[in-house]
Amino acid sequence: MSKPDHNKPDDPPTMHDVDKPATLFAVYLVVLGLAVANIMLSVAGLHNLALPVQLGIGTVQAVLVAWYWMHLRRGDQVVTLSAVTSLFFVFIFYVLVLSDVLTRWRGGL
Amino acid sequence: MSIVIADEPRTAPPPPEPAVPVRNYLNNNYSVWSWLLTTDHKRIGILYLVSLTLFFTVGGIAAGMVRLNLLSPSGAILTEDQYNRMFTAHGVVMLFLFLIPSIPAVMGNFFIPMMIGAKDLAFPKLNLASWYVFMIGAGFAVWAVLAGGIDTGWTLYPPYSSRYSHTNVTPGVFGVFITGFSSIMTGLNIMVTIHKMRCPGMTWGRMPLFCWALYATSFIQLLGTPVVAITLTLLMVERVAGVGIFDPTIGGDPLLFQHLFWFYSHPAVYIMIVPGMGVVSEIITCFSRKNIFGYKAVAWSSVGIAVVGFLVWSHHMFVAGISYYSAILFSFLTMLVAVPSAIKVFNWTATLYRGSITFQAPMLFTLAFLVLFTVGGVTGVFLATLGTDIHLHDTYFVVAHFHFVMVGGMVLAYMAALHFWWPKMTGRMYSDFWSRASATIIFVGFFLTFVPQFVLGYHGMPRRYPNYPQEFQVYNVLSTAGASVLGFGYLLPGVYLTLSLFFGKKASANPWSATGLEWQTPSPPTLHNFDATPVVVCGPYEYAIAVDQMGRGLPEPPGPGSAGDPASHFGPTGPCGPIYKETEVVG
Repeated sequence: MSKPDHNKPDDPPTMHDVDKPATLFAVYLVVLGLAVANIMLSVAGLHNLALPVQLGIGTVQAVLVAWYWMHLRRGDQVVTLSAVTSLFFVFIFYVLVLSDVLTRWRGGL
Repeated sequence: MSIVIADEPRTAPPPPEPAVPVRNYLNNNYSVWSWLLTTDHKRIGILYLVSLTLFFTVGGIAAGMVRLNLLSPSGAILTEDQYNRMFTAHGVVMLFLFLIPSIPAVMGNFFIPMMIGAKDLAFPKLNLASWYVFMIGAGFAVWAVLAGGIDTGWTLYPPYSSRYSHTNVTPGVFGVFITGFSSIMTGLNIMVTIHKMRCPGMTWGRMPLFCWALYATSFIQLLGTPVVAITLTLLMVERVAGVGIFDPTIGGDPLLFQHLFWFYSHPAVYIMIVPGMGVVSEIITCFSRKNIFGYKAVAWSSVGIAVVGFLVWSHHMFVAGISYYSAILFSFLTMLVAVPSAIKVFNWTATLYRGSITFQAPMLFTLAFLVLFTVGGVTGVFLATLGTDIHLHDTYFVVAHFHFVMVGGMVLAYMAALHFWWPKMTGRMYSDFWSRASATIIFVGFFLTFVPQFVLGYHGMPRRYPNYPQEFQVYNVLSTAGASVLGFGYLLPGVYLTLSLFFGKKASANPWSATGLEWQTPSPPTLHNFDATPVVVCGPYEYAIAVDQMGRGLPEPPGPGSAGDPASHFGPTGPCGPIYKETEVVG
């Protein structure tokens, strides 16, 4: 069965293409739970592990939101490309900020 | 391809003037609710126009107060604290409530659907929501700057803004945060509309350059605005809850705020200027009666500016304490953005070359844009260069450079757009004499205001200081005198455009003999823009062969033969000869 093309007016979305409210609510609860976990971990004394662990949790939250709430799992190529583009710009931001942060100890103006 | 048009024009005759419809978007319903609940993109454009005119006035009054105060070395009318609040009010209102939304929200809303042959934007209700969100955010921001004020400057640098300022930072920041969502909504709407709602034949290569510019702008709005939104949220969290994010005394990093803030706020400069560039491309072709030179180069340079604009933000931080290596890297990257900007200027200049130029008000504003934006761009190279920026940083040189780009560039482009499309929006012509007088007065006043500031900055007068040494007074007086002229120049359109609504001559459907689809509708347009979906058969600027995008002939360009029109006195073919030339056909 071919994938429905929602750009065509004669091919509207079916029930199969729409997420169930229960699924979305479950994802919401998971994201909330991860947020609580993240806050609790911030005072758990993880020391050097705190940053990677908490960033990892944040990444999982972002992926869940994008995948379910932003419907990227049902998005066509343009939507996927848009999402990847935004990630690319986040990557640029990190790289260029790190060019400052990682070399600041060597001196600045 | 390149074709040569013979002496005789071989074009289709112009279409008959469309019958003036009984109902248009203005007179369809007069009730207040019909405006407040409208989903018509044209009415929403008008709502934005009225709102932004109000905010421009508020920001302009604040600027006038700042300039008046600087007449005297010790401050003429304001205390030092009042001065801080006044220049912050000017910056916040002008940047967030006028410059950023101006052309996308007013002209983009009104004309993007018409230029691509659509009935409306893709999401009409979202469009109306964007205006309400904007007004709510603007309400917070204006209340914050008028009732007590903010003394941090529009850049809101912490830790002062987050920990120490006792002014209305929180409501002001909250207002700016909210208006950001309006910007995202508008950008999303325009981007989806351009992707999905172009009429048959309107390929990407036939799309007007204004649409390309707005598309690139939407790209920046969608990618950049969420960053500043979260940055401002973090600022509020630190201010309200005392969580250490930016304040180093509680574990924060103030440079992190500057990185995040400028990652949006430098591209925001391109949110302001790129739509203006789109306007210039439309007007310069029309009033030169020539195809745009280098369509693809101009179109892709808009996208190029949008992309490269995201790579240059730290040039605002050269002396803030970033590393040498990062500063060198950003200095180099900043130079890159000059390339697409210069491509545009060169192509516009080449478009003018041997064109049949006429000097109606839109063209005068556009030519002023070319001059002032070029000066602004070239002085930007001084600031991009690491060595000179150390000398010039946070001086009046930066203020002058920024205003040359933003006011000399963007505001004049906005004025050009307003004068170009006013007959279409309102169905009325305005005074030819006074509009040209206004363009000239603004141009002269602008130079008088900001050239002395270059001198002041070079000699070391810092920005945002209410006091200065005696030897700087002459330049400050010159600048304030120029601001008075500039203010008078801005007042004029407020008068003659308003009068035109009541006493102006009725505009024809295509008073400038332009080629775009928006001119194929009556003035003012009907509710759904087009009686039938237009079919595009050629490029957007076929002035050389005098056909519109639907392949129909153009009416005679305005000139002395058409008495009463806001026409040039140089004649229908301009001072440079007949309009038929060797040309490149786009599309």
